[in-house]
Amino acid sequence: MKSNFISRISKILLLVFLFSSCSSNLDFDQVKDFKLTPVFVANLAYFNVPATQLINDGDAQIIYDVSEFNAFKDKFFRDNLMKAELDFEVENTIIRSFTLDIVLLDVEDQVLETDSYKVPAYSGTSNVIKFPTEVFENQRLDLLKKTAKLGFIVRMDGGPPLDANSKGSLKLRSGATVYMEIE
Amino acid sequence: MRKVYLIFLVAFQLSCFSQNKQVLYNFTSIPQSSLVNPGADVSYKFYFGIPVLSGVSANLGSSSFSAYDLFANNGVDFNDKVRNIINNSSNKDKTQVNQQLEIFSGGFRVGGRESQSYISFGAYQEFDFIMYFPKDIAILAVDGNQKYIGKTFDLSDLNLRAEVLSVFHVGYHRKLSEKLVLGGRAKIYSSGANATSTHNSGFIFTGESANTPNLYNQVISSNLELKTSGLSKFTKDEYEGSIPNDIAHNTFFNGSLGLGIDAGITYYIKENLQFTASIIDLGFIRQSKDIETLNYKGIYNYKGANPNFLGSNKPEDVFDEFDKAIPRDTLYNKYTTWRPTKLYSSIQYSFGESRSDEECNCKGSVTRKYVNGIGGQLFAMTMPNEPYVALTAFYRRSIFEKLDFKATYTIDPYSNKNIGLGLSGTLGKLNMYLLVDNVLEYRDVSKANSLAFQFGFNFVFHDSED
Repeated sequence: MKSNFISRISKILLLVFLFSSCSSNLDFDQVKDFKLTPVFVANLAYFNVPATQLINDGDAQIIYDVSEFNAFKDKFFRDNLMKAELDFEVENTIIRSFTLDIVLLDVEDQVLETDSYKVPAYSGTSNVIKFPTEVFENQRLDLLKKTAKLGFIVRMDGGPPLDANSKGSLKLRSGATVYMEIE
Repeated sequence: MRKVYLIFLVAFQLSCFSQNKQVLYNFTSIPQSSLVNPGADVSYKFYFGIPVLSGVSANLGSSSFSAYDLFANNGVDFNDKVRNIINNSSNKDKTQVNQQLEIFSGGFRVGGRESQSYISFGAYQEFDFIMYFPKDIAILAVDGNQKYIGKTFDLSDLNLRAEVLSVFHVGYHRKLSEKLVLGGRAKIYSSGANATSTHNSGFIFTGESANTPNLYNQVISSNLELKTSGLSKFTKDEYEGSIPNDIAHNTFFNGSLGLGIDAGITYYIKENLQFTASIIDLGFIRQSKDIETLNYKGIYNYKGANPNFLGSNKPEDVFDEFDKAIPRDTLYNKYTTWRPTKLYSSIQYSFGESRSDEECNCKGSVTRKYVNGIGGQLFAMTMPNEPYVALTAFYRRSIFEKLDFKATYTIDPYSNKNIGLGLSGTLGKLNMYLLVDNVLEYRDVSKANSLAFQFGFNFVFHDSED
């Protein structure tokens, strides 16, 4: 009984408040439209291979390595990623030309995608190549989301021999731009 | 229904009633005014509050936005509204909620009929919440870092404090002479839940320059700490129970304990010129029940994957590196939190003598009663960053013998035109009061940055009513 009395009084007081006040027309359904669309940039991969690591009598040569890449293990990131762009920049100061293959591998080491970039030999002038942005949307994005490892294959074309005194290096710098849509 | 929804929304989402009780302060016909000044010139033979209804107050406020800014039905895209609010806010803007509910209260005069000493006591439950607007983190969440190369996102913007507690108190005040009233109150705090994260620092930075190993220079420097008490068991998977019930139980029966005092004074410089001052909640709580402190401390410099082509390396894992650089540490040390201490002061000039309804003055002493009073009040409260200060001008009037009215005009961080109104009336022995803050905002509550109200019922007995 008592709690009834109390709740009645508090209701009356609350109503007095509500009726003596006004409110603009508000639309709370707008919350459903709420969507975050942040765009993040982050480093992807880099290396710096000196010519002295590629000592060679003039034949073609291949070096490679595989790095773990577990950004897509995160379900939240996978589910809310709408688009991704990868930018690669290579600076070559070695007197040999290269082909750089970036290989996307899934957890079972199956190749999902291979992207190749031709790098001309150093001839004494600035040799920084910014490759066109790789845009991942739709099916290509779905493949990217399966990526668990990144393979790097550096194919050195035939040319002048390299020895312990050879100068220069092959540098990769790369970044990712990710477009998120969080609802 | 929409308004009810709105009130709750305002209460929970924006919320900021500051804790300034400028209408209640020195409103001496209300016994609860001795909770904001234990030295208030309150007199009674005895009184008791109607349980749970003697003092109900809530304050909510947000200094940077209102419900209207977010939910106006004006065709502006909701996400643009969110963005506007973020752009128009600063990390000094805050959202505050304070709610108090008196469980029981009472008071009585000690000594004989001539005595001017009083004891009052009671218990109330309080909820306190303050959060500063985490502007940089909000920008990062909404826009990402792409447009902010070179900007340092400051993690010290993360700054919040929340507490549910019950307070048991006993106060004593005495009118030492016609000129001087002194009072004090001792309090035992019992905190059911506390979360404190007020000393954070660190940053998230993305830079871009030609001579770095990779495209960007990315650094996360983190010095984050969240202390909790009474909360960690709710985050465990095996917890099965009712969080509100458990918090309520802990608040009253199994809380972290603390001690505090209030003190106050009323001094009549002249018969019609009155000075008052009080300090409220000078105290601490030793957080000792179910405590957990989370730390994220370290520096992480993210460069990306780095193949080395030597064929001997183990595949690296950048996320393991992150966890190693900024590890999550959990500590179980007790900690001490200080109560937000409040400071009030007022000066009041009274004029216009009233004719007393009382046929004889039973006390034998001649005390003149004034109908009008005007004056000013100052309020200050400790906050995690800088203190909160408010200035109030007020006018009070006795409309009838048993109906008092007070109007206040307050300048505070939320508003420079905060008008408050208060009424306290007595019907028989039942004292009722209703105090409302920011009345201009009630014209359209959806546009209010802050709202506060307070009401209660007491039974008050005076000698003349014997």
